[in-house]
Amino acid sequence: MKLTIENGAFAYKNGPTLFENVNLELQSGELLSVLGPNGAGKTTLLKCMMGLLKWKRGKSSIDGTDIASMSERRLWTTVAYVPQARSASPAYTAFETVLLGRTGRLGVFSTPKKADVEKAEQVLDLLGISRLSQKLCSQMSGGELQMVLIARALAAEPALLVLDEPESNLDFKNQLIVLNTISRLASDGIACIFNTHYPEHALQRSDKALLLSGGEAVCGSTASVVTEANIERAFGVRAAIGSFETDGNELKNVIPLHLSSGEPDRATAEPEKNALAAVTVISHDYAAAQRINRLFHAYSDMIVGRMGMPYRERGVYIIHTSLDGPRGRIEELSQRLAIIPGVSAKTIYAKEEHELG
Amino acid sequence: MSSPKINAKASYRLGLGQKLLLLLLPVVVALAALCFGRIMIAPREVFLAVWGKLTGRQTVTGTVALTVWNIRLPRILLALLAGAALSTAGCAFQSLFANPLATPDTLGVAGGASFGAALGILLGFGLIGIQMTAFAIGIAAVALTWLGGSGRGRGLTSVVLSGIMIGSLFSALVSLVKFVADAESQLPAITYWLMGSLQSAGYQNLTYGAPPIAVGVVVLLLLRWRMNLLPLSDDEARSSGANIKALRAVTVICATAMTAACVAMCGQVGWVGLLIPHMCRMKFGSNHVSMLPASVSLGAAFLVVVDTVARSVTAAEIPISILTAIIGAPFFIVLMRRSGGWRL
Repeated sequence: MKLTIENGAFAYKNGPTLFENVNLELQSGELLSVLGPNGAGKTTLLKCMMGLLKWKRGKSSIDGTDIASMSERRLWTTVAYVPQARSASPAYTAFETVLLGRTGRLGVFSTPKKADVEKAEQVLDLLGISRLSQKLCSQMSGGELQMVLIARALAAEPALLVLDEPESNLDFKNQLIVLNTISRLASDGIACIFNTHYPEHALQRSDKALLLSGGEAVCGSTASVVTEANIERAFGVRAAIGSFETDGNELKNVIPLHLSSGEPDRATAEPEKNALAAVTVISHDYAAAQRINRLFHAYSDMIVGRMGMPYRERGVYIIHTSLDGPRGRIEELSQRLAIIPGVSAKTIYAKEEHELG
Repeated sequence: MSSPKINAKASYRLGLGQKLLLLLLPVVVALAALCFGRIMIAPREVFLAVWGKLTGRQTVTGTVALTVWNIRLPRILLALLAGAALSTAGCAFQSLFANPLATPDTLGVAGGASFGAALGILLGFGLIGIQMTAFAIGIAAVALTWLGGSGRGRGLTSVVLSGIMIGSLFSALVSLVKFVADAESQLPAITYWLMGSLQSAGYQNLTYGAPPIAVGVVVLLLLRWRMNLLPLSDDEARSSGANIKALRAVTVICATAMTAACVAMCGQVGWVGLLIPHMCRMKFGSNHVSMLPASVSLGAAFLVVVDTVARSVTAAEIPISILTAIIGAPFFIVLMRRSGGWRL
């Protein structure tokens, strides 16, 4: 599955243009995060992407077919939407709610069949929420409800999953559960899009990011989009991106420092520097190892040396790579490695940096 | 951690026993109701009377045959239909507006139909004429409500508000008709009619009134799984792959036609459309796959019981709306306290 958006622009009736020049490509297995200040139109953008709202200009297509020309039935068996978890949910049990996700695959007058019931049970099981099966959605906590809504979307067996602020209003633990679920779904091959208020969630989870900033959409690899300069431009906040090292990974975090004073200096882009780096990766499952190999393949022009070995006794796969290339791309690669579930990855840089070219 | 595997399949569908019970309940209640009344008739004689009518060889006395076939049977059929219709319509509107206070009258259909009937009485129409006028103006009232309240960007709440406005407009018009009506003959007729009664039941008006009700109930029953999407938000419902606009339109049309036909045939019978769906929600959950058939069955049975009481206990018939409230309200409260509250 490939989602393509070309020159997307949107305006509410009689309103000013909310955003324009939205261009992106998303493949199966990739995770895209959408960032932007309050009122920038993140939710609206998601709705445009999947056809719940009509683009003013431009289009979204799935595998080359414009979604505006797809039948509702075909569209909603390919795309699934997880709305923001509202407190006022109908009093259906979790099981019934998940089963509702199968409606698009049923005839108008039919009720769910045995296969649908099995699919619903399977999805509840996959997300580890079978224990909630008979609980009423109207009596659930925010975290539980969010998981049930994700399950409902998955019951439709989508190729593209769109989530609207899935982790807002949740506590630490539930944020982690929801984000881990999304990461896992992406690494299982579903294309996922989620919008978020947390730049660090984008950095820690997504391959690609889209930042809405003053009506323009900046889209690209997460490491190239979520930068201090872009955050200042979009949010008007001077922030520092730091990293926190754990045994296995280097986690990026974003700390807001102060409101930015005046116009951010946008023209003074620093000249890109070349760097020499070594990346070490330990992968805990073989499927992830394949994904890592594909990733290295995409950046093969920078790779000057590589050694990969399975260490069967411990069931892991270890890869050492030496890289020579623009620092930005190396950071991009390390970020994309680090977001794969079950993978430990770290990058060290040689001390000397010299100007490119 | 062990996850208790509750039988999920059983929870969203009715069991075989429940299905049988819901199917038999209205039949049993209706048969019993044929026996009760100002004159008690033994079940055997009721059977013989019906059998005699069907085969043409009457073996019971003329009074019994007349009472069973010409008076009680049409009235019980009307009660079955009206009860099923009102409770199904109430259920549909509660889900559509995601509002536990919605009733069949939320969009002003009963107000419109009442005005139609009052107008028919004022103009001296016959029974069928009155019922036709009531049905037509009831439908027209809902059309007005929908035109006034719906529109791009406005939610369903504005439709409900518009319904309240149209409802009060028509109740004012009813008062106007009462004001100009002849105080000796027409005013009492209008007043009694508004209180609701199944007295006018006959085969002739059943042939006009039954089809809209039967079609409405059957269509909504067929749509029972999709009706679960009604309380969801627009985007949620659409992204489930359903044509939510069409679903809402069909729901409104069915529920309106059923209610208008009811009000046309037996006046305003209050409470059934609010009480029965809530009782069913408490007992069977919010899932329409089980709750909607239960509403149909219990609504039908409930109204037969109430109507039988209304025509049996005193010499002068008690207006049915009074009884639905007197029987229904305490029962509802007991059920609510025992089941832990209403849910939608």
